[in-house]
Amino acid sequence: MSILKWTAVVLAGGYILASPALAQETISIGHLADYSGATSDVGMPYGQGVADTFEYINENGGINGKKVDIETIDYSYQVPRAIAAYKKWAQRDKVAAIMGWGTADTEALITFVTKDKVPYFSGSYAATLTDPVGDKAERAAPYNFFYGPSYSDAARALVKWAADDWKAKGGEGTPKYVHMGANHPYSNSPKAAAEEYAKELGFEVLPAIQFSLAPADFTAQCLSLKESGADYAFIANTTNSSVSLLKACETVGTDVQFLSNVWGMDEAAAKAAGTAADGVVIPVRTAAVWTDEAPGLAVMKEVAKVSDSSGEQYRPVHYLAGICSALFVRDALKWADENGGIDGENVRKAMYAQADWFPEGTDGVCKPMTWTDTDHRPTAEVSLYQIHVTGQPDNDLNKAIESGAVKMDKIATVELPRRDDWHGH
Amino acid sequence: MLRPSGEFVQSYRLDTQIFRTRNTRYAAVLSLIVLALVPLFAGSYALNLLIQIGYLGIAALGLNLLVGFTGQISIGHAVFFGFGAFASACLNNRLGIPVIFSIPLAALATALVGLVFGLPAARLKGLYLAIATLAAQFILQDFFARAHWFSGGVSGSIAEPITIFGWVADTDEKFFYVLAVFFVLSLLLVTNLLRTRDGRAFVAVRDHYLSAEMMGINLRYYRTLAFGISSFYAGLGGALYAHYLGYVSIEGFDILFSIQFLAMIIIGGLGSVSGSILGTAFMVLLPQVMEWLTAALDGSWIDTTLHLNEGTAFLREMAIGLVIVLFLILEPDGLAHRWRQIKAYWKLYPFSY
Repeated sequence: MSILKWTAVVLAGGYILASPALAQETISIGHLADYSGATSDVGMPYGQGVADTFEYINENGGINGKKVDIETIDYSYQVPRAIAAYKKWAQRDKVAAIMGWGTADTEALITFVTKDKVPYFSGSYAATLTDPVGDKAERAAPYNFFYGPSYSDAARALVKWAADDWKAKGGEGTPKYVHMGANHPYSNSPKAAAEEYAKELGFEVLPAIQFSLAPADFTAQCLSLKESGADYAFIANTTNSSVSLLKACETVGTDVQFLSNVWGMDEAAAKAAGTAADGVVIPVRTAAVWTDEAPGLAVMKEVAKVSDSSGEQYRPVHYLAGICSALFVRDALKWADENGGIDGENVRKAMYAQADWFPEGTDGVCKPMTWTDTDHRPTAEVSLYQIHVTGQPDNDLNKAIESGAVKMDKIATVELPRRDDWHGH
Repeated sequence: MLRPSGEFVQSYRLDTQIFRTRNTRYAAVLSLIVLALVPLFAGSYALNLLIQIGYLGIAALGLNLLVGFTGQISIGHAVFFGFGAFASACLNNRLGIPVIFSIPLAALATALVGLVFGLPAARLKGLYLAIATLAAQFILQDFFARAHWFSGGVSGSIAEPITIFGWVADTDEKFFYVLAVFFVLSLLLVTNLLRTRDGRAFVAVRDHYLSAEMMGINLRYYRTLAFGISSFYAGLGGALYAHYLGYVSIEGFDILFSIQFLAMIIIGGLGSVSGSILGTAFMVLLPQVMEWLTAALDGSWIDTTLHLNEGTAFLREMAIGLVIVLFLILEPDGLAHRWRQIKAYWKLYPFSY
């Protein structure tokens, strides 16, 4: 009897001692990714960057010792599925933050995340997400954040570069600018901003040319582009669609300087498009690309080993952007944990806690950003790169980069003014 | 539930009773009580699936009225579902009509649109009618993308949660009750409709349109009417869906979704009210069941020996297709027929012949 009793006491004691370890605190995070939908071409590297980073964070001590419990849901770029996933996270899992993706779903979720106070870090950089007060944009979005210049600002920077380029080339007369993209919230997002600014800088703005997000035969679009006599064309879709367009336009023989939205081009797409992509100018969110030299790239290479143990694979710009976004969230969660506990309001405060800050250990890769409680435009500085493709690049991205067949050259850094009438548009 | 032998109907009134026996009536009341208790026991995941079955079931019921009972065809049912969703959100956002009224109004508006697009049905049938309804699919889908005042264009529109005297149905549990009311009402209305002159006329048109016309049934009228009523239920389901999700976007109401509605009623059983619901449940639950199976398969010895890895996700999609095909071959009369056979088995047990 007494032996039984003692065993019971020891077991109970052991249980009490063990329970704190059992009940180790975890932080729930939701992750919406497009791995199979219309934007899976860029959703794949970005989503993988985010997922790898959180696994890396867990392997390296978590958030002040707390593990991150991240659930990745592939929503195929369908707004209803994104909302269903969000409801589950907000109602059941009580997530501390969400790593989001597309423009249409992020905009659809603004009202929800504001009401539920869930910080939402999107892969959409739509300018409508940058007004936390609600007097500039259509709606207040106090819980929406993103890393990098907004679509509108990136497009304005491209327009500015185009204006300078026209002068430098000694072009005669008024240069012609045209917007090309799908009729979709993502592609439409920078349209008005860029066209307005182009007019301001003396461009003649031609009627927009529509082409779908799903790759197809875009010969007709390229023919009308050629006929319109445009000098600068802005591509507002994602990479697969851009590749189809660029290839069709190469066949048609257009003489246009292509500018691309941030998701419209990357190293893999340049490789796929071959010489058709030669000369395209794109904004890049990070201060370095994979093969550059920067102290912060060491962390990125460690993160990449999560999904590629050899660490040899070349990672495109979108993967780096995914890592930076996730690391910003890591540091915000850490700050919140040290300043009153992790909840939506504290994570939001964490984003405002410093100015011109970047995640620890990412020097020279993640650019410094500033969010304030009246302005969620994190940066007004846009780095522009030009794609160079020579010959027929190898099908293996590593080899294509190594041989120098695909190159990314930084050509300009445009410092935009933080104009009040540009805020939220 | 089971009809005792030796019981015969002695009047037309008895023949059209909804509940044939006392036990059926008790079963109906009991299932209502069970329905009311579901949110107390079901987890949020199960509740979400039930809600999906609810709003899709209402829309499928409408399509079954058109295809199963009147013998016509529509491959544009999803856009009517979408029209109801946008119309209800628009009525509420633009005109300030409370959601609880905007839902039935949206259903009525969808019925009107359905009548317009049903006009070709007065003249066409079979494959020709199918292609004519394809027009509705394309015209309305394009309309959604362009009519900014109506649908918010490509960026979609917000749909407020249902509010009744300050009580806001903003959680799944609360919404479930609202949906349950609409669901039971729809079932009763359709079942009742089939007992009326109009309902019998639909069936007569389906069974033999020439004989029906000779008996004095106005073919044009009933064929078009079937479209209107079918769209009414599509719109009702769509409006409920809109206020459940809280947001309507133009994606999703594509032809694939329309085909899915057809699959629901074919699998459930054409010309059967309960079949519409069974088929919807089947189509909603099948991907989930397959998801569990593939998740269980993930990392198991089958996975490792066959090197499936990423392939399990594709396996799931293929399995869904396979199950549907097998179902159509082995049970062409649908789940409703299978259900009747199960009942007959128990009734005759152990002396089935």
